[in-house]
Amino acid sequence: MNLAADRILSLLLLGLAAFIAVQAWHLDVPFSYDPVGPKAFPLILSALLAILAVVLFVRPGPSGQWPSGALLLRLLFTLVLLFVYAALFVDLGFLATTAIVSVAIAWLFGATPLKALIGGVLLAAGSYLLFTYALGISLPTGSWIEPLLGAN
Amino acid sequence: MFDFLIQGFGVALTPLNLGLAFLGALLGTLFGALPGIGPINGIAILMPLAYTLGLPAESSLILLAGIYTGSEYGGRMSSILLNVPGDAGAVMTTLDGHPLAKKGLAGPALGLSAVSSFIGATVAILGLTLFAPLLAIVAVKFGPAEFFALMIFAFASMSAMMGKDPLKTLIGAVLGVLISTVGVDSGTGVLRFTFDMPELYDGIDFVVMIIGLFAVSEILLMLEHAFRHDQDGEMAPIGRVMVKLSEVLHCKWAILRSSVIGFVIGILPGTGASVASAVAYTTEKRISDHDNSFGTGNMRGLAAPEAANNASAAGSFVPMLTLGIPGSGTTAILLGALMLYNINPGPMMFREQPVVVGGLIASLYIGNVMLLLLNLPLAGVFARVLQVPRWLLVPSVAILAFVGVYQLHSDLMAIYLMLVIGVFGYLLRKFGFSLAPVVLGFVLGGLMEENLRRALSISGGDAAILWQSGLSIGLWVAAALVAFLPLVAGKLKAKFLPAAKAP
Repeated sequence: MNLAADRILSLLLLGLAAFIAVQAWHLDVPFSYDPVGPKAFPLILSALLAILAVVLFVRPGPSGQWPSGALLLRLLFTLVLLFVYAALFVDLGFLATTAIVSVAIAWLFGATPLKALIGGVLLAAGSYLLFTYALGISLPTGSWIEPLLGAN
Repeated sequence: MFDFLIQGFGVALTPLNLGLAFLGALLGTLFGALPGIGPINGIAILMPLAYTLGLPAESSLILLAGIYTGSEYGGRMSSILLNVPGDAGAVMTTLDGHPLAKKGLAGPALGLSAVSSFIGATVAILGLTLFAPLLAIVAVKFGPAEFFALMIFAFASMSAMMGKDPLKTLIGAVLGVLISTVGVDSGTGVLRFTFDMPELYDGIDFVVMIIGLFAVSEILLMLEHAFRHDQDGEMAPIGRVMVKLSEVLHCKWAILRSSVIGFVIGILPGTGASVASAVAYTTEKRISDHDNSFGTGNMRGLAAPEAANNASAAGSFVPMLTLGIPGSGTTAILLGALMLYNINPGPMMFREQPVVVGGLIASLYIGNVMLLLLNLPLAGVFARVLQVPRWLLVPSVAILAFVGVYQLHSDLMAIYLMLVIGVFGYLLRKFGFSLAPVVLGFVLGGLMEENLRRALSISGGDAAILWQSGLSIGLWVAAALVAFLPLVAGKLKAKFLPAAKAP
């Protein structure tokens, strides 16, 4: 029913194929021992991708439901959360970041605030103990906490 | 001829490896049982664990293979109890499994499916032990040209059989191959598609790719599911857990037939559990569904796909261990994991890495027994995992993903890359792609290019070398046959079975 999604996708893929072809074409190859070189394979692939994209444009299939409205907002928020998790992972440390992010995700997924708070904090603490003591993985402690622990 | 197996049992029976096989079976079952996660996601999420433990190659492969086979066992639970298949391979299990659970036979259904899984896996592991050495002898004759043709065959059979949309399967595979070209070209040292980012010089890291593609995209999809049907279906009560011997005997032919079907389909490169279970189910329906009770809780309808998908899991090790061509999306992940240990997959692996290959096969026997022993009495305990609320499950997946990637790279760039790949994977899934072809393309892409270029350097640039030997001609013909067979078969089916309902 919703054929438009596949059509848009096929145009995106065509663009990607063109981009790859141009990039591969402009590769600066000083010397190649084999007759094929590094350009040919990506060029063949981009041609193949372009052909498949055209076929997709001509014969698009129905696509699923795309998120919109409140769901889209939640998805974007989850994604932002994950990027925040990545950004703070080292500086703020595993324990604190994981606790904050877990609480937020749990709340996003429909836990009551109290449950989210308890679950998230326990999850962070539990996984920290598991990774550090049972598996011997060293996790970032966080740059702010190190001075508090004393220099070493 | 079976020296490798004796040596393999020597490896697999060391306390460390026995422990790892058990750990793999346990974690695999748990992760496979988690609602919506399923085998391929389970192994993707747990894979970094094998590296973080700093294990030697064979031990880590034993752990990963345990997780793989374990998650095939666990995957049936959410199918039967909640009617939620963890992945495509478990869809067929829901058809008769869930109606059985609704009739109050959830326990026997779990027991029967565990026994069928065990028998399916056993048949296939025996097959693997017999066939793999034979195929390895043939495989040694493969030159670069034959390899290239073999990979074309793998992609052809995959696009013909995997998923409902061959076109998107092919596009996914091409995208996967393209991603594999990122980084330094080994032949010339030229940087391809790195966009001046030093992090990309070594190519896109396998673990980052897999975790992003599966785990991160899964998080986003789970949010959608949670949002759309606010709560999961009511879980059926389990009741009597043990299956009666008479019930197993009632299904014995269904199980055996499906085991063989599963094994054979598992061997075909690129086709995995989803095809195997579908073919087994429809075959069994044709043979033994006399009263039209398939789909309403027929024991055979449950036993057939379960035996087949476990058999195909073991069968897919055959091409992986002998030719270096994964038989399924999940073995593609295992193969990628092996490459991280600098083990070159290919026909020489059987000869050069007898410890790894033998140890793996032996551990499959051991793990299979462990899984049966774990799953029969503890089905009720594992089923409780299904009740883990999503709001607790999702942050756990995120933590595993982050720690896994960070542990390997100690680098935030890798984590950002993982997230970007995750968004890419989410979009692909929303567009109706399955991720297995992408992984297969990503894993095989490098080998494909390398063999193409090696073949053409041998011939001095003459492409005719690609179809000169009898073996390679055979493979090209086979590739063409599989690619066009479904079209022809579809037409024939439409002609002769106008009333046949699509599975």
